Amino acid sequence: MELSDWDLVQKCQSGDMSAFQELVSRYHQKVYMVILGLLRNREDALEVSQETFLRAYRKIGGFKGGSSFYTWIYRIGVNLAIDAQRRQKRNPLEFRDTMDTVLESQNEVARDPFAEVHDRELRENLVKAINDLTPEHKAVIVLRTIEGLSYKDIGAILGCSEGTVMSRLHYARKKLHDKLRSFL
Amino acid sequence: MNDCERMEDSIGPWLDGELSAAESELVRAHVTACARCGEARLRLETIDRALSSVLVAEAPKIEFASFWRELQQRIEQKTPWHKRLLERASDWTSAPTAAWAVPVLIAVLIAVLSYESYFPIRRSRNNFATVESIDSHGRNVALLREDESKTTVIWLYQNQEGDDEAAEETPPAGPAF
Repeated sequence: MELSDWDLVQKCQSGDMSAFQELVSRYHQKVYMVILGLLRNREDALEVSQETFLRAYRKIGGFKGGSSFYTWIYRIGVNLAIDAQRRQKRNPLEFRDTMDTVLESQNEVARDPFAEVHDRELRENLVKAINDLTPEHKAVIVLRTIEGLSYKDIGAILGCSEGTVMSRLHYARKKLHDKLRSFL
Repeated sequence: MNDCERMEDSIGPWLDGELSAAESELVRAHVTACARCGEARLRLETIDRALSSVLVAEAPKIEFASFWRELQQRIEQKTPWHKRLLERASDWTSAPTAAWAVPVLIAVLIAVLSYESYFPIRRSRNNFATVESIDSHGRNVALLREDESKTTVIWLYQNQEGDDEAAEETPPAGPAF
């Protein structure tokens, strides 16, 4: 039977390294995806993901289970990513190559060339529009889109109310819509 | 705000499954009947799909073994004290824990600004009063200030005959060579 996150946390707290390894294996990909969504740079996202789990390891003794483990680990990761984003001076990842890879993998390149161009332009402009959002607005969009988290969980991660999450999401979507008006 | 404007604000939460059953039904019925809100719904769905394809599909798969190996090395590495201090500071100041910092900062500022009124700082004060006087055409104003009790006395008086400095400066009568 698979142990719950809380069982693993308790094992970690009594010094079981393999329990922490199991928690990392469960969440490393998701944490990385959320951080990549915020930072838009693969190397930085990997570095911040490592830092997230390192901090979690050091602080796990103080984790009382007041929230779920994933809320807790996302909170550490998102805070680190927002800090890193504010410091970030480097250019974001060039997405053209990435998008080609995505489209090829979805076998969309060989389809209607007009649709292909439209899709490509929409996604490229979407990436630019996401990058123009503030870290807080980007965070709600990323957590909602990647993880499909509820407003309550997003609020717990970002330390704000459900109402704030709702209004940030509304504002972020409106901003994205305004910038992509010609593609929709 | 008309019905459509109100409904447009609810379409996002409705698509996210965040409305109650009754609210959902209300929004669904309106969106089905109203062309404008139906289009708003389609636009939102298109944005969400595009977001999903950009944010989810672009993320490369992270190989767990190498991730764990590197993490283990970092865990075993001794972190210098100044880095730990910085980490702790960033934990304190990062959201949402930074919420306490603003009222504390305001309280400290008020305490510093009002400190002197509760605990007067003795700079170069003494118990002597200072006297300043202004002379204007034979009428004098004297100010007597005393720091300790913060008392100011204003003393107005007129020059007596013979006290006039101008008179003293008048050259003596008589031949001047």
